[in-house]
Amino acid sequence: MGDDIMNYNGGVALAMKGKECVAIACDKRYGVQNRTIATNFTKIFEYGPHCYVAFCGLATDVQTVAERLKFRTNLYELREQRKLKPNVLYNMLTNLLYEKRFGPYFIFALVIGLDPKTGETFVYDSDNIGAISDNVNLATVGTASEYIFGLGELLFKPDMTPDELFEATSQSLLNGFDRDSASGWGAVVYVIEKDKVTIRELKARQD
Amino acid sequence: MDSLNPPAYDAEEDLLRHQKQYSQMDKLIIPIEMRQQPVSTGTTIVAVEYDGGVILGADTRTSAGSFVVNRFTDKLTPLTEHIYCLRSGSAADTQAISQIVQYQLEFLSAEMNEPPLVKIAANCVRRMIYQYRDDFVAGMIVAGWDKKLGGQVYSCPLGGLLVRQSVSLGGSGSTYIWGFLDNNFKPNMTKQECLDLVLKAITLAITRDGSSGGCVRLAVIDAKGVQRIDVLGNELPKVYDL
Repeated sequence: MGDDIMNYNGGVALAMKGKECVAIACDKRYGVQNRTIATNFTKIFEYGPHCYVAFCGLATDVQTVAERLKFRTNLYELREQRKLKPNVLYNMLTNLLYEKRFGPYFIFALVIGLDPKTGETFVYDSDNIGAISDNVNLATVGTASEYIFGLGELLFKPDMTPDELFEATSQSLLNGFDRDSASGWGAVVYVIEKDKVTIRELKARQD
Repeated sequence: MDSLNPPAYDAEEDLLRHQKQYSQMDKLIIPIEMRQQPVSTGTTIVAVEYDGGVILGADTRTSAGSFVVNRFTDKLTPLTEHIYCLRSGSAADTQAISQIVQYQLEFLSAEMNEPPLVKIAANCVRRMIYQYRDDFVAGMIVAGWDKKLGGQVYSCPLGGLLVRQSVSLGGSGSTYIWGFLDNNFKPNMTKQECLDLVLKAITLAITRDGSSGGCVRLAVIDAKGVQRIDVLGNELPKVYDL
C-alpha cells in the first residue's frame, strides 16, 4: 500500500439517487495499512432527519471532521431554531474544509439529502479542500472509488424505486471493493425516502 | 520516528517497494495515478506434515499495491509430480524461480532415472534465491512426498536459508496465525484433522490481512499423488464476527 496517506486506513463510500429517494453506503473496515483492526467502523454520519454525510480517508480525520461539523450544525440549529437543509450542510462542510486549505484534513466527503416536502434529492461530493460539485446522480469516494464508479455508472438508471436503488447501490459497492484490499469486511446501506430511512447491513466477504 | 512510514511490518513488501522505486526521471514523466506498485503475492501460505504426507494451503489474492490484480490465483505450483512449491513475495520472481527449478528437476530425474527427492527440489530453489539474494524478493515453501523420507516440508525464505520444518508459514498473512498454529498443531495428525487445521488457519489470516483474500486452495500430497481441493469463499469456516 506504500506510504500514501489516503490509503493508510482504507475505506470507501458510495451515494446514488433514485426517484424521491437517495442511498448512501459505506464499508466497515478499520485497518492500518495491511492489517485489519476492526470491522465495525462505519463512515456515515447523520446531521438531520434527511441529511447524511460520509467521510473516507484517514480515520482520525474522519472522526474529527464529523465532530467539528456536528458542532457547527448544532450551533446553526440553536440559532435558527430549525433543521438543516442538505445544501446548507454541504456549504458548511466545504467551508470547514477550505479553512484548512494549506494544511488540509485527509478526507474526501459525500453529502446526501432529501427534501421531505418536494421530494427533491441531493447528492454532492467534495475533495479534501472543499471543492464544490454539482448535484450529481452518483458519487463515490475512497480507496476503491474507481472500481465502484465503473459499476455504479453501469447499474444506475434514472428514477429508480427504493428497492431498485438499494440493489444497484449494494451490488456496485460489494463487487467494487472486492478489487481493493484496503476496503470491505462488511457494508451498511442507508436508503432515505420521504417518510422513512432504511438501514441495512450487507453480508460481504471477510477478506 | 516517521509516523507516515512506520517501521517495516513485512520484509517482503518493504523490500519490493524499495527495489522497484521509479527512477528520478520517471517520477517527472509519469503522472502519479499511473505509477504502478509492483505485483506481489502478499499472501498467506501454510504447509504442514501429517502422518503419511503433507498438506499445502494458500489464499488466492495477488495484489499490486492495494489493487487486487487476481482474485483466484493459484499459488501452489508443481515442481514435479510429487513435489509442490508455495510462492510468496514478488509474483514475477517466484514464477521465474519455479519454472527454472521445474526444468532442472526434469533434467535431474532423466539423469538419475528416478523421481527427485524433496530435499533436492528444495535445494534447487534455495540455490536460486541465495545466488540472486540481492535482486530477488522470493519466500518459498517446498513440500512433497518421496520414497526415502515420506512427507517433508522445507522452508526457503528471503535470504536463501533452507530448513526443514513440520509446519511452515510464509507471506504477510502468516504473522496473524503463528500463535494459532503453535497452539493447535500436533505431530502425526490424521489427514482430515490436518486439512481442517490448515483451512482454519488460512481463513483466520484472510480475515485480518489486507494482502490475503479470496478463496483457499489446498493440496494433499502422499504416496498416491496429489489431490487438489479448492474451498470457495462461501464454504470457508466461520470465524467470530469482529
